[in-house]
Amino acid sequence: MTSARILLDFFRKTWLVYLLSLLLHLVSNLINVYFPKVLGEFTDKLHVGELTRSLIVDYSLLLLAIGVGHVLFNGVAMYLIMHIGRRFEFLVRGRLFRHFTEMSERFYSRNGVGKLLSYFMNDVTAVRESISMGFNQSANAAMLLIAAMSMMFISGIPVYLIAASVLPLLLIPFIVVYLGPVIRKRSLEVQEALGRMTDTAEEQFGGIRVTKKFAVEDIMQQRFDQTVERIRRNQLRLVRVSSFFQALIPFLGTIALITALAFGGYLTIMGRITLGNFVALTLYVRMLMTPLQQIGNVINSIQRSRASLERLNDLLSQKSDIVESDHAKAVDLGKAEIRIDNLSFAYEDTSHQVLKQIDLNVKPGQTLGIIGRTGSGKTTLMKLLLRTYDPPPGTIHYDETDVRALTLESLRSQIAYVPQDGFLFSTTIRENIAFYKRDADLDRVESAARQAQIYDNIVELPSRFETRLGERGLTLSGGQRQRTSLARGLIKNAPIMILDDSVSAVDAVTEKEIIDSIQKERQGKTTIIIAHRISAIKHADHILVLDDGVIIQRGTHEELLRQDGLYADLHAIQEEGSQHGTSHS
Amino acid sequence: MAQAIHNWKADQKADLNQPEQKPHYISAFKALSGYIKLHRLGFIGVFLCSLIAIMSELLQPFLMKIAIDDNLLAGVNDYRGLLIICAIYLGLSVSSFAFTYLQNNLLQHIGQSIVARIRKQLFGHIMKQSMKYFDRMSSGSLITHVSSDTEALNQFFNQVLLSLFRDGLTLVFIIVMMFQLDGQLALYCMILLPIIFVIAIAFRSFMRTTYQLARTRLSRMVAFVAENLSGMNLVQVFHQQKEQEKQFNERNSSYFKANLREIRTNVLFGRTFDILSNLSIALVVWVGGNAVLDQSLAFGVLYAFITYIRQFFQPINTITQQWNTLQSATVAVSRIWAVFESKPEIVDRTDVVSADAAASSSASSASSAQPTKFDVDRAAARKGGPAEPEGRHSVKSAQGFLPEQVRGRIDFHEVSFAYEEGTPIIRQVDLHIRPGELIGVVGTTGAGKSSLISLLCRFYDVQEGSICIDGVDVRDIPQRSLHRIVGLVQQEPYLYSGSIIDNIRMFDESISREEVISACEFVGADHIIRKLAKGYDTMLSERGSGLSAGERQMISFARIIVFKPKILILDEASANLDSYTEQLIQNALYVVSQNRTTIVIAHRLSTIMQADRILVMSKGEIIEQGTHEQLLERGGQYRELYEHSQGHVAV
Repeated sequence: MTSARILLDFFRKTWLVYLLSLLLHLVSNLINVYFPKVLGEFTDKLHVGELTRSLIVDYSLLLLAIGVGHVLFNGVAMYLIMHIGRRFEFLVRGRLFRHFTEMSERFYSRNGVGKLLSYFMNDVTAVRESISMGFNQSANAAMLLIAAMSMMFISGIPVYLIAASVLPLLLIPFIVVYLGPVIRKRSLEVQEALGRMTDTAEEQFGGIRVTKKFAVEDIMQQRFDQTVERIRRNQLRLVRVSSFFQALIPFLGTIALITALAFGGYLTIMGRITLGNFVALTLYVRMLMTPLQQIGNVINSIQRSRASLERLNDLLSQKSDIVESDHAKAVDLGKAEIRIDNLSFAYEDTSHQVLKQIDLNVKPGQTLGIIGRTGSGKTTLMKLLLRTYDPPPGTIHYDETDVRALTLESLRSQIAYVPQDGFLFSTTIRENIAFYKRDADLDRVESAARQAQIYDNIVELPSRFETRLGERGLTLSGGQRQRTSLARGLIKNAPIMILDDSVSAVDAVTEKEIIDSIQKERQGKTTIIIAHRISAIKHADHILVLDDGVIIQRGTHEELLRQDGLYADLHAIQEEGSQHGTSHS
Repeated sequence: MAQAIHNWKADQKADLNQPEQKPHYISAFKALSGYIKLHRLGFIGVFLCSLIAIMSELLQPFLMKIAIDDNLLAGVNDYRGLLIICAIYLGLSVSSFAFTYLQNNLLQHIGQSIVARIRKQLFGHIMKQSMKYFDRMSSGSLITHVSSDTEALNQFFNQVLLSLFRDGLTLVFIIVMMFQLDGQLALYCMILLPIIFVIAIAFRSFMRTTYQLARTRLSRMVAFVAENLSGMNLVQVFHQQKEQEKQFNERNSSYFKANLREIRTNVLFGRTFDILSNLSIALVVWVGGNAVLDQSLAFGVLYAFITYIRQFFQPINTITQQWNTLQSATVAVSRIWAVFESKPEIVDRTDVVSADAAASSSASSASSAQPTKFDVDRAAARKGGPAEPEGRHSVKSAQGFLPEQVRGRIDFHEVSFAYEEGTPIIRQVDLHIRPGELIGVVGTTGAGKSSLISLLCRFYDVQEGSICIDGVDVRDIPQRSLHRIVGLVQQEPYLYSGSIIDNIRMFDESISREEVISACEFVGADHIIRKLAKGYDTMLSERGSGLSAGERQMISFARIIVFKPKILILDEASANLDSYTEQLIQNALYVVSQNRTTIVIAHRLSTIMQADRILVMSKGEIIEQGTHEQLLERGGQYRELYEHSQGHVAV
């Protein structure tokens, strides 16, 4: 079983601290339980008339010492464990992040960001709470219970009296364990309802134009009101249980006290126990209420975190499906020919083939254009070239080396990839462009920006290249993002460059300029351009038309235009304008 | 935990770029007093419940005192008396249990009603604002107002009010009881009160800073991770795992440090408080013990005092905890009230509002525009626009002018407009469109194409000139009717979370399913929708994910067919469509534009080559107009654009 591995590793390193904390808890509670005993003795002394002024001072100081001693030891014990809990969180998160960086795209396509983030946040925190607060509370409660019980025995309070008084209190953990999950579930429902209201508001404010345009404000208000009512309902449902719970615990406490009063009072009257013992008993009963409640809480939190721990262990035991082979070698791609032989590929064994029998040769320095509809397999082909998915063995070669036999570093540092979505990080523009090498000179960043036709936009920004993007910073338009992302690829000046529909969101004029500048910069270097629009690829040395995973046409722009086929159709639609409803496809 | 993600999301939404508005602070109590008054009886009930609950609770140590002093210590040893005390004790605890429960539920009920009411009002108020307001306010900050700020209000009722009722009254009662038991000893204890309060408040505000530091750093870290998770393929393709890991570790350890600081403060504060509590007990034993020795105090009183002193710290601790909540509630209230204060800039003329109000009752039920009568007499009485060229602008005396009878003539009379003073976006545009005409508008970004459309929809008011539909100034048409007359298909079709059916009929249940389906057949979306697993009942998530851009656009076309506006504006979808989908949309556009005055803002010329008339806009003016052929012949800017799109740039 790999389960509980993270914890085992952690405890192996930290058990000493836990032990120390446990000891401190013990000491602290041993001190603590003297409090009722001292007060009881005080009562007895008073009762029999032996109390003197100096004794009062002694007792006061003793009580103070007990209080301070208890608090100090307890404080240190708690601090140690809380500290170590946070340390756990810190270590596990670091480990998770490294794990994330190692996982392949297949992993990410199966797990959404939200889900992974919830591992990273909720599960780690849940485990931390158990091993930190959970430990503190249960250690404290257990030690207090033991200490208080033994103290009562030592004081000579009869066992049956103790048992009778403490009995109602023992119900507390059970009630907590029973009601805790109910409360938790209902409170989650409140959170969920709240989230739904926020989503509705977000949706409405985002679509305000549409709502206004169709004059359906009333209907949208109704929709929103429903979400508000739902919160109200859920909240009241929660309060019904939680306030019952909150009132019940002190109630059980008083029941225990009444038992102590009736039974203990009777024994006192009968002279079987001293008045001091009676006073001490009532104080002990009060003292035990909180720890018993805490034990219940701890049980609940451990239950929750056990599931979290399992999830975390599962996650960390997953291996990436892209692994460097042991004999992987670095190859200079500068003069490498890209060769694809009879490549067929499906994402899952059972699913349909996205690429079918692709054969292709790209000579060093050539520009290859690939065009096709959405879903024709263009992007998949690029992913295989970059090995973010594994192609079948022997199908993709860089010169004579199978892509699977290359070191990932040599492969990826020599290919510049520009994705379609223009994903940028929330950092400065400069760091975004110089992503492959953060400390690249500003000159180089600027010239890459010029090549990607984004320079003029950047220098208009308040802090130019140091402007922060995203999240809390400025947002760029779709076209600007694409061009920045293009600059990020161009600055690498890599032997091979792949543009995956990277200029789709820029207008026709800018697109033309970008294509021109790419042609100039990529002179003599291999470039692969994927596009929807013919205008972006027609200059290529060689053009492939992909349809449903198959290469249906290949040739130069002129050759393809002369043929009847998809390419000519696309050209007709895109470049010449079409008559409504007359064009097929 | 989940809260952290929630906080982080809230932080994301709250656009921190905007200079944090510092509205004048409004006392939460004062602002809410209007709402509180509505629930006067409820609050009295809560007060009474708290009173009974607390009395029941606090009389308990007093009973112990009686048991000890009058019975056990005095040597009366009357067991019957003791049992009576026990019975009373039980009665008190039951009453405390019941009334605490009642008080909690009652207060929550009131609080939730008020918060729900404010939420609804706030949402309604924001929805009424004109577009300018939405330009100015980021949607993030509006969402924060509706969700987080009202949630802070909720906490105000949940925690602050509850604690004030419960802990405040408890504190008062404890003090009263202490004085009741022994005035002198109570006075000694009172010396502690201010000290405790000062320490507590000081610590709380210090803790607030550390807490916020931790929260900010957590936010930063989560944001970083979320972003890297979504961009992990890039990180890997650029082989930057090590670098990103380094950056992550920085954030992780700075959060760790903030945590340690938070723990230290927490432990320190808690312990200080405990020590203070112990100190006061020792004090009571010392002072009280001496008094007992002097026979001036009964031991039972001392016992009760010790219990009270212990209970004393609990409410103070809770109340000071509320201090922070109260502060955030005050900020929240101020922000919410600031939203309430803003008035929509575009309003229906007061004299047409009555017609609008009459219409609104039927608005939700009618799919087509409701039979609102433009109040033409009054419209005519409006002082005429500055320019009424050729008298065409004379307001039609159309008695019984009905929106569904609108023919769709549009006249822009010398319209000028600027979002901000001094930077005109539209300059003196004069444009007359015949009913049923198909108009294409081209021009570079910033030429004023979209603004022209926004003016026609009256998202903004013109500064000079006027815009008329069938001769009636848009400012004289109730917005509700205007919006039904003029339909708009946006570049990015906006979808709501809900079924496809509901998205097409905009959740208007009065529009039948059949009507929706036939609309989809009409625009050619039917077969696409039927291919989906659940057909028309497929649930769309936010932003319509699950459908391609083209499919989303088809849905927005179907909407137009269902709602039948007489005038259609189409902000043409740009780029990201592949050619096949583009073709589908072209066909749909053609179908939809039949029998409607249609204005297409084109990003690609192929869309509008067949338009009856093409307008070329530049810098807020119409510089060329005519058919495709005419404009090509003219050899102006249009020709240049055309040639660009064909790829042979005329240098």
